[in-house]
Order: sequence, then C-alpha cells, then structure tokens
Amino acid sequence: MISQSLTLAWRSLIPLKNSPGQLIGMLLQPVFMIVVFVYLFGGAAGGDRDGAVLYMLPGVLVQVALMATIGTGMNLATDIGNGVFDRFRTMPIARSAPLAGRVLADLLTLLVTIIMSLIVGYAVGFRVRTDPLSALAGVGLVLLFAMALSWGSAWIGLIAKSVTSMQGISTAVLLPLTLGSSAFIPATDLPGWLTWWMGVNPVSHLAGAIRGLMVGGLRAADLWITFGWTAALLAVFTPLALRAYNRRVR
Amino acid sequence: MSYAIEAEGLVKRYGETAALDGIDLRVRTGTVLGVLGPNGAGKTTAVRILATLVAPDAGRALVGGFDVTRQAGRVRELIGLTGQYASVDEKLTGTQNLLLMGRLLGLSRSEARARAAALLSRFGLTDAADRLAGGYSGGMRRRLDLAVSLVSGPRILFLDEPTTGLDPHARGELWDAVRELVADGVTVLLTTQYLEEADQLADDLLVIDAGRTAASGSPGELKSRAGGHRLDVRPLLAADVEKAESILRTRAEGGLLSIPIHDLSVPPALLRALDDAGIVLAEHALRLPSLDDVFRTLTGAEK
Repeated sequence: MISQSLTLAWRSLIPLKNSPGQLIGMLLQPVFMIVVFVYLFGGAAGGDRDGAVLYMLPGVLVQVALMATIGTGMNLATDIGNGVFDRFRTMPIARSAPLAGRVLADLLTLLVTIIMSLIVGYAVGFRVRTDPLSALAGVGLVLLFAMALSWGSAWIGLIAKSVTSMQGISTAVLLPLTLGSSAFIPATDLPGWLTWWMGVNPVSHLAGAIRGLMVGGLRAADLWITFGWTAALLAVFTPLALRAYNRRVR
Repeated sequence: MSYAIEAEGLVKRYGETAALDGIDLRVRTGTVLGVLGPNGAGKTTAVRILATLVAPDAGRALVGGFDVTRQAGRVRELIGLTGQYASVDEKLTGTQNLLLMGRLLGLSRSEARARAAALLSRFGLTDAADRLAGGYSGGMRRRLDLAVSLVSGPRILFLDEPTTGLDPHARGELWDAVRELVADGVTVLLTTQYLEEADQLADDLLVIDAGRTAASGSPGELKSRAGGHRLDVRPLLAADVEKAESILRTRAEGGLLSIPIHDLSVPPALLRALDDAGIVLAEHALRLPSLDDVFRTLTGAEK
C-alpha cells in the first residue's frame, strides 16, 4: 500500500519533469505574487517596503498553499474523467492508494513552491526574525492546513461533474478566503463587516500564526484557532472525501 | 469445456432505465466473444460489471472462476481492461505509463523497464517511447492503452470498443495485436459496433439491444440469419414506391426498399419484375448486411 502510494505520487510528479513549463509556471507564481503584493499594493498602502515584505510574505505562502489545494481535486476529476481511475480500480492494488498518492504528491509540490517563495522573499528583503525552528514550524503549519483543505478539494473533485466545474467551485470558495483575510492587509481602516469577516476568516489566523512564527509576535490565539480549523476541516472533509471515493471505488 | 467468463441474469439499473435487463454470457477459455450492439445497448455496462467496476443489481458473474462482487480482488489479478476512451496518462511518456503499471503491480525497477521496453516494441511504439502520450495519434494511443493493460500479463482481457474512431489502417493493426494475444491463449471479451470487427476477431457473438440478448451464435450463423446480402432499391418516382413495395413484399423507408437476399439468383429476377411493372429505379445495389440490418432482422424490428 505504501509503495503503491509512493509510485502513484511519483506518477503525479513526473509531469513536472516532462513539461518544465509547468514547473516554471509553478515557481514563478510566488515571484509574481510577491511583486504584486509587496511592490504594487505594499507601495500603494504607503508603508515602507521592508515592513511590507515582512508582513506580506507569510500571506503569500498562505495564498500559494491554498491555491495549490485546488490541484488535488482537479487531478482527481481529470483521472476520473479520462478513465485512468477505472484502470487503477481494475488492478490488484490497495483501494486507497490512488487517493493517498495524490495527496502526498500535492504536499511535495507545495513544499517545493513554499521553499521557492522563501528564496524569492529572501531576495527582496524578507528575513526570519525568530529562529530556524520556529520558521520550520511555520512551514509545517502551512502544509498541515493545506493538507486538511486538500481533502475538501478532493471531495469536490470526486463529486464534481467535470474538471471545469471543479475549478469554478474551488476558485469561488478560495478567493474570498485568501483575499478577504488579513494575510496581505492588516484589518484596520476597513468597513465594519469586512473587519468582522477578516476576524472570523481562518486564513487571517493562519497567516497571523505563520507571521508570528517567522517574524515574531506570535499570538497563541492564532495558533489555536488555526489548529482548531485544521481539525474541523479534517473531521468534516476526510470522511466526506473517503465516502465519495468509496462510492466511486465501490 | 471450460469457461473463462460466465454470467447469468445480469441486471443493472440506473434510476428508471435498465442498462442491462438480464444478460447471460459465456466465453470459452482461449476464445474471443464479440459483444455487438448499438450505442446504449448495455455493452459497456456489461464490461464494467465483469471488470469489477460496478456491482450488478441482480445476477452473478464468474471471471476466471471467481465471483466479480465477492472475490473482486482475485478477479483483478487475472484481468486487463482497455476502455472506450484510451485511459493512458497524457502527461506521461509511453515508457512512463508502462513503468507506472509495472511498479504498481510490484515489479522491480529493472523488471518494469524490461517489460515496458518489450511491450513498446511489440506494439511498434519504440520510436515514440519517450514522447508524451498526449501527443500520440489515436491509433498509437489505443495501442499504448492495450500495452498498459498487458503489463500484468492478464489471462482474460476486456476490450471495450477498442477501435471506435480509428482509421482502417490503425484498426487493422489493433486487430493483429488482438489475434496475437489470442494465439498466446488469452481469453478476450470484445465489444464493438462493427460487424466486420466481430467477424474478423470473434469466435462467438452476442448481440444485445436495450439491455437484452437479441441473438447469440457464431458469426456465420448470425449472418446467415440476417440474410447474406441485401438488395436496396430506390424508385425514381415516388408514385412507384407503393407498387414496388407490393412486388418486393417489404415496406419502404424514406423511399428506399431493402430486403434480405438468401439466394443470389433472386435479385436479377426481382429487378426484372420491377422493370416489367414499368418502375424506373434511381438506384439499386446488392450489398453485405450492415450491423443495422442484422439488428433489424435479429430483433424483429423491421420498421
């Protein structure tokens, strides 16, 4: 089962090697995001650039991670649509291997993207102000939350009628979560309802926790709320995804 | 006689419609059963049940002696499936597609490589081995699909419309590949819409329509029941159609009269009779039965 999952994870990663364009696109994504958020929006906000980098890079990590979770469901939907899934199901392999392999591969790709984002961040002045261990914990926290969310993505991918509808649903869910959070802009000088939304939005707390772990000033509440959301997402979506999967797999 | 596949009373409903409404079938070990039918007849549903992809609502099926619902794991060790849509991973190269299957089945890296190389050369894909499958032509893709389903060395192979959408040349190549497999002792269940394909490959035929068995037998038997040839006749003047109908004793469809011919000395006499009646023909043709004709004859749906 483990070796089958690893083989299937390999299968999901190979396309990156086969078509370097995809890999380059994946790696450029954080570069563009840093440029846009730090230089364009950061400049517009009137703050100093170094401060903006420190504030926004954790937000970029969160954004990259959440967008990457769409891939899990999209790839599952693609496999179901073109019959690759059926092929796996007629083989004497563990039933859960295709799902586990997918989630594993997506976490690995995400890790690479995060490392890339950090490198770009360093180039434009981001510095870990705490200690390496805390920074690692921050990376771990993004991965953990992304993993929990990718079960939601997997669930949508398994029940969606097509790849396109999967993509539409996910984007509609994720955009308000990421952009409507304090990942990029502190929740000050905003209309009351938006401040309220930013306060309850789990992404604000995730970004806050990562910022705390990497830059300093960690608030315990951010950490616990993030853990709470992660647990809640896993509790809700893992069974849903597994049920949808088992229905597909019988 | 031993049967590689045996199914009795298979029923599968999707909502109100019965995709399969009580199908029996048997495939002798080492032979090819052709399952013929139009779109929506239930061919694919039958294959999906036998390949352990869906459970039947009623009936039972044994593949290689194992029950497809209760012993699905054992069945999966014996079978290979090539679906209607070539289910290869387009983002992987030909070699990588085959390696993936080999590794999943527990082959070592070197064994998987060797088997991939052997299958690629067997299906004439060695030159394309390192190209992405997404860039393959339709025929190449189907051959790769077939190769992928052979990595496990299956004794029983399901081919669901393996040549639909292929050009005649690619179709011929796939037929050759199937013949080779059968020569190696593999049992094949093949679904197709093409009578010619069934004729070329199948030892036995099962004709299904609307989820039910319409006929079964050897290709020769079925064709003789459908009438070897058909005579198509189209009177030039619409006014003559009725007269022609009474001479040929059939009903016209869109001005065209079509009748089965069991004896090749009959058409000249019929044409003479039409001529004697003063009916001018816009066209007349003697042709082999199409699948449509076989259906009409076998299902008695002569409209």
